[in-house]
Amino acid sequence: MGEGVLYYIPLGGTAALAAATALIASIGFLRTRDFRFDALASAASETVLAFLAAGIVSGCSVVHSAAGKWWTWDARMTAALICWLLFATCLMLRQAVEEPSRRAAFAAVWTIFACLDVPLVVATAAWWKPGPTLPIDWTWPRFGLLAIMAIAGGLFTAARVRRPEPSHPERAG
Amino acid sequence: MGFLRQAGVVAAKDLRAELRTKEAINSSLAFALVILLMFSFAFDPLADTTREISGGLLWIVFAFAGTLVLNRSFTRELPNDCLDGLIAAPVSGAALFLGKACASFLLVLGVQLVSLPVFGIFYNVPWTRQFPELLLVLVLGTWGLTVVGTISSALTVNIRLRELMLPMLIYPILFPALLGAMQLTAVLVAGNPIGPGDFGWLKMMVGFDAIYTAVSLALVETVLVS
Amino acid sequence: MSAVAVDGVWKFYGDYPALRDIRLEAAPGTCLALIGRNGAGKTTLLRIIAGFSRPGRGHVRIFGGEPRDTATRRQVGFLGHGISVYDELSAIENLTLYGRLYGLADPARAARQWLERAGLARVANGLVREFSRGMRQRLAVARAFLHEPRVLLLDEPFTALDDKAIAVLSGLLREALASGRTVVMSTHQLREALELASHVALLVRGQLAFHGASTPEMAADPGLVYARYGEG
Repeated sequence: MGEGVLYYIPLGGTAALAAATALIASIGFLRTRDFRFDALASAASETVLAFLAAGIVSGCSVVHSAAGKWWTWDARMTAALICWLLFATCLMLRQAVEEPSRRAAFAAVWTIFACLDVPLVVATAAWWKPGPTLPIDWTWPRFGLLAIMAIAGGLFTAARVRRPEPSHPERAG
Repeated sequence: MGFLRQAGVVAAKDLRAELRTKEAINSSLAFALVILLMFSFAFDPLADTTREISGGLLWIVFAFAGTLVLNRSFTRELPNDCLDGLIAAPVSGAALFLGKACASFLLVLGVQLVSLPVFGIFYNVPWTRQFPELLLVLVLGTWGLTVVGTISSALTVNIRLRELMLPMLIYPILFPALLGAMQLTAVLVAGNPIGPGDFGWLKMMVGFDAIYTAVSLALVETVLVS
Repeated sequence: MSAVAVDGVWKFYGDYPALRDIRLEAAPGTCLALIGRNGAGKTTLLRIIAGFSRPGRGHVRIFGGEPRDTATRRQVGFLGHGISVYDELSAIENLTLYGRLYGLADPARAARQWLERAGLARVANGLVREFSRGMRQRLAVARAFLHEPRVLLLDEPFTALDDKAIAVLSGLLREALASGRTVVMSTHQLREALELASHVALLVRGQLAFHGASTPEMAADPGLVYARYGEG
C-alpha cells in the first residue's frame, strides 16, 4: 500500500453523509409533502452513487497494487458494492414512476428502506468475510481530506438539485 | 373489526383466489425446478464441492421463484380495479399489507417445501436430518423475502416495467437476510446442527424481519394513497 | 353538517393543476350531479372525495370526518369505472368478502339479500368471470350498496349499463335518496343525472363554473347548463 493516499475513506465517508442527507430529506418529504425535500433527496442519492462509485474504483486500484487483481470479495468492497446497488435502485424507481407526487412519495419510501439496510449490509459483509480487508487510516490528513471531499459532495448535491416540482405560478401562490 | 381479523379476511381471499387458479404457484414451482435443473448443468450435482454450496443454490432458487408469487400479490388486484375496492374499504393499509404478506408467505413456503425434496434427490443432500431447524430458517428467510416483496409489489403495481422493477428492487435490500439464510441452510442441509458461531446469523434474520415488517406496516398507506 | 364538504381543493399533476380551488358542499339527502366535458376533472375530484388520492391543497370532509378514516369509509360506497369484483370468485363470495371488510354483522345474509335485489340470486355461486357484462355491472352496484352507506360516490354510473342494470341502479338511487342518503355522481349523461339530481356542479377545465340547485328548465334542456356557464 505504501504512501498511497487512501481516497476511498473520504469518498466513502462523503457517500455516507450524502446517504444520511437523503434519509432525512425523504422523511422530511413524507411529513411535509414539500417538493424541495424530494429534490434534495434525489440529489443526495446521486451524490451517494457518484462518490461511492469513485470510492469503489479507488478501492479496486488499491487491491490491484497490492495483489495484482482488480477485485476482492472482502467486507468493505462487498458492502460498498451492495450499498451502491441499493441507491441505484432508488434512482431506477424514480425513472419508472411518471407522476411527480407519486414518484416523490415512492422514492422517499424506498430511500428509507435502502438507508435502513446500510448498517445491516455492512454488518453482514463483515461477518461473511471476516478476513483481511482494505486498510483504514484515521490519521489527521485523512480528516482533512474527508472535510474537503464532504464539501465537494455538498457542492455536487447542490448542483444536482433540480428546480423542485412544481413550478406552476398558481402552485406557488 | 379487529386489525388481525381484517388481515385474515384479505389473506383468505388471496389464498382462495390463488388456489382456485394456481397461476402463480404453478409457474413458481416450474421455475424452481427449471433452475435446479440448470444448476445441475453448471455444477456436478453429486460432487462434495457442490454440496458445500447447496445452501446458497437453494436460496437462489427460492429467491427467483418466490418473486413470481410476490409479483402477483398486488397485480392480482388490477383486473376490474379491485384495488380501488380494497382501498375504499374500511381496512387500514397495514391490515391489507399484512393479509397479503401472510398469503404470499404461505404460497412461497409451499413452493419451497415442494422444491426441497426434489433438491434433496437431485443433489443427494441429507436435508431431513435437521428438519425443524431448517424449517425455522425457511420461515425466517421467507418472511423477510415476503415482506420486502409485498411492499415492492405495492410500489410497482402501477408503474412501467413492473416485472423487471420488482426483482431489481428487492434483491439488494435482501442481501443480509438472504446471506444469513444461505449460511444457515448450508450448515443444516449438510446434516449439521446450528452451532454457537451461527447464532449471529439467526439474530440478523430475526432483526431484518422485525425492522422491515415494522417499516412496511408504517409506510404502506403512503404507497397506496398518494 | 354537510354530508360532503370540499374546501379549497387543488390537485396538481406535476405543474399542471387538474383541479383549481374547488369549493362545494352536498347536504345530507341530496343528489349532486358533477357534470363537465371529458378531462374537466370530475373523476379526479370524485377520487379525492373517496379518499383514493390526496389533494395538493385544501381538504375534504365527509360528515365532518377525513375521507381516509376507517369510520368515514364505512359510511361511503364507491362505484368507479371498474367493477371492483374478483373474476375468480363467485358472486356470493365477492359480496361476502366485502360484507366482512365493511364489518357487517351477518355478511353472508346481506350478500344473499343484495344478490336478490340485483337480480343475481340464480347465479350466486357462479364465477364472475363467466358473467355477462350486464350481470357484472349489477354485481358492482350491489357491492357499492351492500353496507348501506350514508354517502354514495358514483363515477359515470350509467355509462355502458344495459337497460336492466340502469333500472336496478336508478331504483336503488331513488330509494337511497328517499331514505335520506347522499349521492354524488359524476356523469356525461345529463338526462339521467338531472332526473335524480337536486343539485348540479359544472366543472370546466378543473374549475367550478356553476354550483347550485338543479331547476326544471335544466332537467328539460340539459344542454342549458353548458350553454350558460360552460364553454358551449
